[in-house]
Amino acid sequence: MGTDYVIIGGGVVGLSVAWGLLKRGHTVTVLDGDDGSFRASRGNFGLVWVQSKGMKQPRYAQWSQTSAAAWADYAAELQDATGHDLGLEQRGGYDLHFSEETLQETVDQYEVLKAKLGGDYPYEVLGHNALRKEEPHIGPKVVGAILHHQDGHANPLRLLLALADDVRRMGGRVLTGKTVTDVSKPDGFRVTCADGTIVEGGKVVLSAGLGAMQLGPKLGFRAPIRPQRGQVLITEKLPKIINRPSLIARQVDEGGIQIGATNEEVGLDDSVTQTGLSGLAAEAIAAYPILGRAQLVRSWGALRVLSPDGLPIYQQSAEMPGAYLVTCHSGITLSAAHARLLPDWLDGTAAAPDLEVFSEARFS
Amino acid sequence: MIDLAIIGAGPAGMAAAAEAAGRGLSVCVLDEQARPGGQIYRDVDRAAGTLGAILGPDYAHGATLSGALRDSAARHVTGAVVWAIETDDAGFTVNYTRDGASAQIRAGRILLATGALERPMPLPGWTLPGVMTAGAAQILLKQSGIVADRAVLVGSGPLLYLIAAQMVRAGTPPLALVETPARGDFAGALRHLGGALRGWRYLMKGAGLLAAIRRAGVPRYRAATEIYIEGMDRATAVRFRAGGQDHRIGCDTVLLHQGVVPNTQAARSIGVPHLWDDQQRCFSPVVDTWGGTAVPGVFLAGDGAGIGGAKLAEVAGRITALAIAAEAGWITPAERDRDAAPLMAARRAEGAVRPFLDAAYPPAAAPIADDTIVCRCEEVTAGAIRGYAKLGCTGPNQAKAFGRAGMGPCQGRYCGLTVTALLAEATGQTEDETGYYRIRPPLKPVTLAELAAMDAPHKDAAE
Repeated sequence: MGTDYVIIGGGVVGLSVAWGLLKRGHTVTVLDGDDGSFRASRGNFGLVWVQSKGMKQPRYAQWSQTSAAAWADYAAELQDATGHDLGLEQRGGYDLHFSEETLQETVDQYEVLKAKLGGDYPYEVLGHNALRKEEPHIGPKVVGAILHHQDGHANPLRLLLALADDVRRMGGRVLTGKTVTDVSKPDGFRVTCADGTIVEGGKVVLSAGLGAMQLGPKLGFRAPIRPQRGQVLITEKLPKIINRPSLIARQVDEGGIQIGATNEEVGLDDSVTQTGLSGLAAEAIAAYPILGRAQLVRSWGALRVLSPDGLPIYQQSAEMPGAYLVTCHSGITLSAAHARLLPDWLDGTAAAPDLEVFSEARFS
Repeated sequence: MIDLAIIGAGPAGMAAAAEAAGRGLSVCVLDEQARPGGQIYRDVDRAAGTLGAILGPDYAHGATLSGALRDSAARHVTGAVVWAIETDDAGFTVNYTRDGASAQIRAGRILLATGALERPMPLPGWTLPGVMTAGAAQILLKQSGIVADRAVLVGSGPLLYLIAAQMVRAGTPPLALVETPARGDFAGALRHLGGALRGWRYLMKGAGLLAAIRRAGVPRYRAATEIYIEGMDRATAVRFRAGGQDHRIGCDTVLLHQGVVPNTQAARSIGVPHLWDDQQRCFSPVVDTWGGTAVPGVFLAGDGAGIGGAKLAEVAGRITALAIAAEAGWITPAERDRDAAPLMAARRAEGAVRPFLDAAYPPAAAPIADDTIVCRCEEVTAGAIRGYAKLGCTGPNQAKAFGRAGMGPCQGRYCGLTVTALLAEATGQTEDETGYYRIRPPLKPVTLAELAAMDAPHKDAAE
């Protein structure tokens, strides 16, 4: 038997799981794609986010809260081990509104969710003037915001780097430039790559993002996921302009203002478009007028990994027991939960989190 | 919708515009500068008169091209900074800014004549104030008549000699010429001399430049290694080893140059395939004889399609214009072939010297020290890039995510080749396997207000 676990996919999701498994003393091999693979880990917005998630499924809201709460300790451990500052800030985050109506609608929905969560949903509504005290650069078109105290943000690229570093440091074997073409289970698992590499292991975790669209069915999963494009902008480095992050813009630890993101159903096309960028720029300026003068230095498109209801999928294969599908949209937010809690679920211990609502049964 | 948009008003762009407009196509040339000329003929209409004696007759030739552009029906938009090119079924949309305002043009075909960039020369101290590229020094001379005082020229390539000779003519000769090519490089290049003899004019010109430099008493150091630029707040000296001895030359300015490479940003941003050119030690776009690419409607001419120099660019611009005119139906294929025949012959003659130059003046071969910065924008060292290779980065895009190399305002123009080379060396892959940065808009920085001004629905809502 090669290793205890073979992880297919070396993005933030796969590496978080690998890191957690290594901490439990397992041997792990991670198979990662090449330089040009679709990588949500390189293109995401970097929020560690709770609000607006799980409006129809409180368990998802709770799972996000669990992860967000575990993040600080998790980040500290990664930072201590690797020296990479993950730039974590959890001082709350905003949902900005340009109309009273949408603000009130959202508050109504949050109240319903809050009741289902037994009251654990610490948010407050800030009117324009109250918001302006927190965010001096907020524009007159913003009528108010929902400040959720469990929200925050981190440097997602530094997270990816720290995980890539620490997984290796702990003895994880990471093979990059690999495209997995087949998985079989003659006895243990046998994972075959396009270049002829074969890796054997006791269990397999499929955390290949959009790669699961093709590989999932081979392991007996439905894997009903699709790409959704998000275009993102980032400005030159600027002095402090934005205090707390929002879904529209956040100031990253290096100083740039990151602006996002479009939601486009365009298949496996990760390009950026003038209309996409212009729309995002206009919205950001509406929120923070001072940004009109900022220089855009980079833009990119990245593909979200979405299930039909937007929730994660955690599923063990019925066809190939010992193979697990782990896929989600919010790989950064959930990184701490994946690292700290998923190993118990994968190992089948008594401490395993209840992930029943995230199984593929919901799609039948 | 116009027939042809040309990006760049250097020799290739100017020649192509005049040729295409002369064949009846509606043509628009977009260029960042206030006056035509590109880098090589920068500001030629003005400077050829005032500085002609210093810059020489080859430079003054550019005025014939700018004149032909002016006399043609082609529209020339000056000060246009192109930040995105988009393709659709009907053609191309070129997004640009001018005087702080956003604009677009639509064109059926597009010719990228974006020229060359100086190959970066990362060595210890190269980010100190007082250090610049030789090309930048030449721009100062052409545009402002400024000649660097107490300067040492470091590197390799014909442009180094040209600049030294121009500085001599301007009465401010450089303190020294510190050249990196090993003695074997020149000897090895002699095997290309069969070709170079056909390009004898260039070699004679090169010999003339060197004679002028020698007459002025400028010391030349050959096969220099272990080059360091000294200085705390700014460059104060160049240290190096040559002829078995250590040297130190105190100076105020260091001008670095090791040849030019195609500026591939625009072509890459719209998916034109590129391949590593081992002879020129850079990536070049894949183009056919006519400058056509694998992307329908996209053409390239001039140094941006592969380094050949100004005269070659001019000829290539005209050849590509003929190909575009034929494809668009303004001339027949027979007319294209007839009119292109003498241009093709001229191109062969102009290109003959190139293999010799590439072999004689290669970029410095010494490995880059770990603590040398390779990405100036984000201050990423060579050692950091090598470290990312150990963390599994097979190419520059993952390395960029890990360490920010290539994320700055220069969009990776000045570190791209170095990062690819460092990763290739560390992983044992070829440069083609290693790949290059994924180039996306903005090709040049643009303000959010300029971007937002193109957002029609929001604009309406605001009004």
